Amino acid sequence: MRSLIAAELLKLRSTRSAWIPLAAALAAAVLAVIANTSAAGHGSNPPLSPAALPGLLRASGGQLVDGAVLLAWIVLSAGEFRHRTSVTTFLGQPRRLRVVSAKLAAAALTGVAVGLLAEALSAATSAAVLSAHHVPFHWAQPGMAGAVLAVPLLAALYGVLGAGLGLLLRNTAAALGLALMWAFVVEGILPVLIHAPGMIRWLPEATANAVLHGASATATTLPAAAALAILTGYAVVLATGGAIVTTRREIGTTTG
Amino acid sequence: MTTIAVEALTKRYRAVTAVDDLTFQLAPGRITGFLGPNGAGKSTTIRVLLGLARPTSGRATINGRPYSELRDPLRQVGALLDPNVFHPGRSGRTALRIAARPARIPGQRVEEVLELTGLASAAHRRVGGYSLGMRQRLALATALLGDPQVLVLDEPASGLDPEGVAWLRGLLRRFADEGRTVFVSSHLLAELAQTADDVVIIDQGRLVAAGPMAGLLERRQASSLEDLFLGATSPAQSAHPALTRPGSLS
Repeated sequence: MRSLIAAELLKLRSTRSAWIPLAAALAAAVLAVIANTSAAGHGSNPPLSPAALPGLLRASGGQLVDGAVLLAWIVLSAGEFRHRTSVTTFLGQPRRLRVVSAKLAAAALTGVAVGLLAEALSAATSAAVLSAHHVPFHWAQPGMAGAVLAVPLLAALYGVLGAGLGLLLRNTAAALGLALMWAFVVEGILPVLIHAPGMIRWLPEATANAVLHGASATATTLPAAAALAILTGYAVVLATGGAIVTTRREIGTTTG
Repeated sequence: MTTIAVEALTKRYRAVTAVDDLTFQLAPGRITGFLGPNGAGKSTTIRVLLGLARPTSGRATINGRPYSELRDPLRQVGALLDPNVFHPGRSGRTALRIAARPARIPGQRVEEVLELTGLASAAHRRVGGYSLGMRQRLALATALLGDPQVLVLDEPASGLDPEGVAWLRGLLRRFADEGRTVFVSSHLLAELAQTADDVVIIDQGRLVAAGPMAGLLERRQASSLEDLFLGATSPAQSAHPALTRPGSLS
């Protein structure tokens, strides 16, 4: 299994359309810290203080990192069928469930690694900015452990969501289109369309936000633990669907 | 001893029967040409043999096992199905390193097959910039990675220049002379006539002739492989039950 995961990670490193979004998300994590600290003390924003650190980590490792990991693994998983590299992949390991497991594990590992890296970059930038403003930097802040755990955990789940969706649809454009439509359109209008405004808290983006911000239960937000369970459920459903389709369908070539 | 065995293999796609009760066996140390008109079921048979498609009934095995049950399949079977199975954004070397990783094939072997297939100087370039012939060589390099005992090649000469075709001919002969099994599907009859020891000819998914090429030419009073092929696959011949018998080349 380790060699299969290594092969999947090599595919990630050698696919520009997969790693460029990840690199961009890491750069955005640094910019988010700079933007948030620049706004501190202006208008209704509280002034810079050591207590701002957990919030800075959450802000930098939020939706951009999750979105980039999701996108990368959609491109990698669906791309296997678009470029027919699936033929070589399944000749090398014909037990397809092992390949699927390796992809899901590599996707989760990518999420953890990118999430932790985003946090490390944010923490380093925060330390530099706080120091420049003569604000002491202390790790031990309320909510710090939750922030440190939530960012890589969410990114790992989004990696699994992306790999599962790519394997399920086998079409890069369709999978990317569906993910973007869901994030920017469907999740916003679905509760309105079906006259159930309370359902929004059960949808993927809302559950991810609840986990990231360690929310307590409200009309539009689930408690963090329940939200994490729901989001994990979405990841399991997509991963299982992707595994079923991959093990059952035949692998084609151009020669027919 | 049989290395590849196809037994009563049938593959249907809804109403279309691509392979129909096909039976043949191949022995090691021989090059076997797999012939048939377009749509005869050659590629489907090969895809079933390599575990990429499921048979409707019957079975296809390599060394007594279905491909999906082989341990370390890349070290037992080298397969070339299509030159267009590489990510265009990756270099040739990276494509091979990715293929080698699951079988724990070392990087040194990647360099060896790049050298062997004449791609060493282009290994750092992206596959998207390769010609068809170069992609075909890369596909061959992938097939050779595990130094396998069995080679299954679908149209391996496609896109190769005359020098490449001659190189391929020599490579396949060396493989067979070392006691390995070479199974080659091709439309290039003149080329196969120079290369193959045995032939399996199918038409409309059914076996129409199988055996050592010299014996078949003599028995069918054919002057060339092309004569033999056209005779075996003409409508009158393929409907003749006497010509349709299970083939054993062992």
